Formats: sequence, structure tokens, C-alpha cells
Amino acid sequence: MVNRTTAAPMVHLDNVSKNYGAVQALRSTHLEVRRGEFLTLLGPSGSGKTTLLNMIAGMTGPSDGQIWIDGRDVTEVPPSRRGIGMVFQNYALMPHMTIFQNIAFPLEIRRIPADEIRQRVMKVLEIVRLPNVAERKPKELSGGQQQRVSLARCIVYNPSLILMDEPLGALDKNLRDQMQLEIRRLHSELGITIVYVTHDQEEALNMSDRIMLMNGGSVEQLDTPHDLYYAPRTRFAAEFIGRSSLIPSEMIGGGQARLNDGSVVRVNRGANAGKGHLMVRPESMRLVQAGNVDAGMNALQGTLQGTLVTGGSITHFVAHSSNTTLIVQELANERRTAFTSGEQISVTWPVDAGIFLDR
Amino acid sequence: MMVGSGGELRLVGIAAWSILAFLILPSLIIIPIGFGNSNEIIFPPNRFGIELFVRFFTEPGWVSATLVSLRVACATTFLSVVVGVPAAYALSRGRFPGKRLLALFLLSPIMVPGVVVAVALYIYFARIGLRDGDVRLVLGHVVATLPFVIVTASAGLRQVDPALETAATIMGASRFYLFRRVTLPLIRPSIIAGALFAFLISFDEVVISWFVARADTTTLPVKMFSSIQWEVSAVLAAISTMLTALSALVCLAVARLQGKESA
Ligand SMILES: Nc1ncnc2c1ncn2[C@@H]1O[C@H](COP(=O)(O)OP(=O)(O)OP(=O)(O)O)[C@@H](O)[C@H]1O
Ligand SMILES: [Mg+2]
Repeated sequence: MVNRTTAAPMVHLDNVSKNYGAVQALRSTHLEVRRGEFLTLLGPSGSGKTTLLNMIAGMTGPSDGQIWIDGRDVTEVPPSRRGIGMVFQNYALMPHMTIFQNIAFPLEIRRIPADEIRQRVMKVLEIVRLPNVAERKPKELSGGQQQRVSLARCIVYNPSLILMDEPLGALDKNLRDQMQLEIRRLHSELGITIVYVTHDQEEALNMSDRIMLMNGGSVEQLDTPHDLYYAPRTRFAAEFIGRSSLIPSEMIGGGQARLNDGSVVRVNRGANAGKGHLMVRPESMRLVQAGNVDAGMNALQGTLQGTLVTGGSITHFVAHSSNTTLIVQELANERRTAFTSGEQISVTWPVDAGIFLDR
Repeated sequence: MMVGSGGELRLVGIAAWSILAFLILPSLIIIPIGFGNSNEIIFPPNRFGIELFVRFFTEPGWVSATLVSLRVACATTFLSVVVGVPAAYALSRGRFPGKRLLALFLLSPIMVPGVVVAVALYIYFARIGLRDGDVRLVLGHVVATLPFVIVTASAGLRQVDPALETAATIMGASRFYLFRRVTLPLIRPSIIAGALFAFLISFDEVVISWFVARADTTTLPVKMFSSIQWEVSAVLAAISTMLTALSALVCLAVARLQGKESA
């Protein structure tokens, strides 16, 4: 018994799908969120992130499939009985209640004695580093402070699962970075499971244990941030996360791909045959003088179009004859040779840095 | 095209103010007449005093009619809030078949001419043998006030961020708890505004009251209306003055409430 529940995933979606009339908001999806995991649903607008999250919360029912939370089939269980927490983009704090009353609210629902409520509210206010705001109204706090309060209101009743739908969407960049760290800290200190929704890839890469990349109502890829970045399985994944050079090419066997212009390069992994795109991340690529290529490296000739210097990194854009732009990123202090725009140069990358994508 | 020239605009402005004055002046003129001391309705009065107000309190019938009106208005207000607010909640949050039809039905008294409602109620009350004068008045008035309470409460409910209700539900609140602790406090200003309007409408109502009132339960407006048929008593001006003051007070209260709500 104990074994079974500890082994069960925190959330388990079994062939869950959702239609709104003719619109298929979510195609049949399978997902297991592990205990204590920070899982992010990432994808462009309309890809079904909120739909999926709302089905876990119980705010909408699935058209098909079953939802399990903590080893219990909750498909037919109303949201108020799923024992979960949720953090909203617009905080959703009760404007007519003080901060104290807001955080006490879920405890009052659970009929916890008043003195215990006081203790627990004060403790979570410490945890989110807002010890002196208990008697204020939500509108007397800044956006970042309000979001901390809404986190406090969530963790105060110890839900084992917390859902967050773009919780930092309304905050400015600096505050967002700070709150990302804050949420990560709470996650690891409290050992809760978090399912997090964002369309900001950087946020997803920073925070997640795993990312579920969604596109048009289906799962594009479910992986760790590292694997999603270095081993995308589709062109969509490669383009959505980070930057990359995508060169039209065809696999010709033996781990080799032929480009439009006839040149052949070695590929690390991916499909073995067919047409598609060769993907290389910018930081794997280097600029060298034309022809001056180290052995064991892939190389392509091109014309340097331009260079952008942003902070500690330099980005070069190189036109290749296959009508693609290669993006090369180097650290600022790493530059060896200065090149000028219009110059013929070679772009090189290790043979294991290229991935062939046939979709 | 250019926006109208300064001259044109001024002309439109003058026209608008003239029409407004034509509509409002009579109600304003009645006030000095109410403070006149003659038995005729003359403007401007020759002498000023509070004699007409004294007559209101001393002549038979006026005070008792006012008490009937107050009693009926209070009961009407209570009943239309108790029925109207839950109805508005059900209409805005519930999902059930025939919802639109029900909404149309509840709001229909606004669309049907008052005199039609009055005749219908007269016949209906006779049919079911309802004789109690107060009950007839209150039920008749609720028909007229309910739509206003529903409309103001619905407007308040639309202002409530759905995320608040979602949040409360996910935290474990039952429907009733959610309504009592979240929705109700948030729409309280709209409910009070609706209640004040209901009170005013009921206190001021003539047509329905005329048809459904019984001889022993005459409301103030009905008594005013019937008294004017026999003699044009200047006491009416004093009563009108008080009614105007009451309306103005209620409207000020509503305005303050709405100011608070939007703040
Ligand atoms: N209540 C609804 N009725 C009809 N269609 C809906 C409804 N809710 C969502 N959809 C549709 O389902 C699809 C997925 O919507 P969803 O809100 O899940 O997207 P999302 O990934 O959260 O997007 P965003 O990043 O903009 O929040 C969209 O095409 C949307 O138009
Ligand atoms: Mg969304």
C-alpha cells in the first residue's frame, strides 16, 4: 500500500484530450509528473498549456482519458476536493481581505483553530520574506509582493501539488529573475511538486527539472532543459528553444549529410535517411580563416554578413550558399582573429555537435 | 471634415441645456412652492413658511399613507434583494437549460408597459383571491423592482474577477462558502445600490399601486394622485419637495457607493 503510493507519480495523465467543439485544444496526451519534480509546460500561445493545467486543476473536464493525482483517479473529482494549490498570473488575491485574511482563507476552509492559523500564516510570511505586511490590503503591495503573498497562500496549506499559470507574466524583467530564484528555492526547500506554465523559454530553461514542449495541442518533446536544448527532436523544438543554424540537407548514410551545394558534413545523431535539416547551436560553431580548418571538424564556407556584440558574447551571421544564415556565437574574450563584414570565412563545428532533424 | 466650428458647438450646447432646463425646472420650481404659505399653487409664492409641511402632518390620511408606503417599500426592498441577488448569481454563474429564457422572463417587467403589468396583476390577484392589501402591494412592487436589483447585481458580478472564484474553489471552498466569503462581499456595493433603487421605485410607484391597492391600504403616491382629482392642494408641493429630497439622498448614496467601488 505505502509502496504503491510512494511509487505512483504525482500526476498521471492517461490519454487525456480536450475538444472545444471543432477545436482540438489538446490531442491525446500521456504525462507522468514525478514526486517533487518541477515540470514546465512550454509552448507558443494557443498550444494548449492552460487547457492541460486546468484539467489537472479540475476547472475543465477532459473530453477523453483519465487524470490521476497522487495515485487517485480524480477525473470526476471537483477542483475543491483535489487538494492542490494554484498560483495565477494576476495573483487572484481577495481585494476585500487583508494579507493575513487572504493567507488564512484556505486554513479557515479546513477549520483549523485560530491560534494555529495565526502561527502558520506568520510562518509562511517569513518564508516568502514579507514579515511586515499582514495587516495591509493587496492593492497596497507591489506586483512582486502580491505574487509572494499568493505563493504564501498556496504553501500555507501544504498541498502536495502546486500549479502555476504564467505566475511571473505580469512582472518586469528584473523582478521576474528574482522571483524565478524564489520559486526554485521554495520548490527545493519544501519538496513540493510544481507544474508550471510559461511561454518564456528562458524561464523554462532556468527553472525546470523537465520541460514539456507543446505545439498546436500536442506534445512536441518532453525532456530535461539540457536535452531539449542540445538534442531537440524536431525543427519546431530547435527553433522554439534558443537559436540555431538550420541547414536544409539529406542523410546519405554513414552518419553523413549532404547539403544543397553538394558539401558533405558528419552528423552526431538523428534520423539515418531522408531529407530534413541539419541543426547546430551557435555556441558550438567557430569562425576561422577560409580553409584554415582543424582536422576532425565539420566546415562550411560562407560570407560574413555582420557581427553583434551583446555583453559578454559576440554573434556572427554568416551567409552560406544553401541560402541559409549560420549563427555563430563566441565569448567576447575568446576572439582570436578579427574579421570584417563581406569577408570569405569558414565556419567550423565538432562532428558531434550537428543533429539531423527530419521533421 | 473638421470638427464643428466653435459657433455651431455653442449652439448645440445651448439647445441641450434648454431641453434639460425644460425637463428639470418644474421639479425645482415645486420646491419654493412647497415652502409657500398659501393654499393655492402660485409661483413665486407671496410668503414663505412651513405651513404646508405642518398641514401634511396634521391633515388626516397623509401620514398614514406615508407609513403604508414606507412599510411596503421596506418589504419590497427586502424581498427583491433576497430573490434578485441569488437569481443574478444563478444567471451569471450557473449553467442550466433555459437560462436565457429565465433571464428574459425575470427582466420582462422592464419591457412590458407598467399599466399592462398593473392590469394583469389586478386580474391575477382577483383570480387567486388575494385580499391582503399590503401583500398585494408588495408583490406588485416586487415585479417592478426585481429587474433593477437583478441588473445591478449582475453588473456587480460581472466586475468580479473570475480568477478569484477559481482560486477560492481550488483552495477547497464549497460553492456556498465561496459565495458568502468572496462573491457577496465583493458585490455588496451593487446590492446596496440595487436595494436603494428598489426602495425608491416602490415608494414612488403609482400605476401598479393604483390597480392593486385596497381602500384601507393607500400608498402616498396613490393618495396624492387621487387628491389632485378633487382639489389641487398645495400640500402636494410640500410632499413633492420631500420626495425630491429623498430621491436626491438616495442618488447621492448610490453615487458614493459607486465611487468607492471604482476606487
Ligand atoms: N473555453 C474555450 N472555448 C473554445 N476554445 C478554447 C477555450 N479555451 C481554449 N480554447 C482554445 O484551445 C486552444 C488552446 O488554448 P490554451 O488556452 O490552452 O492555450 P495556451 O497554451 O494556454 O495559450 P497562451 O500562452 O496564450 O495562454 C486555443 O486554440 C484556444 O483558442
Ligand atoms: Mg494560457
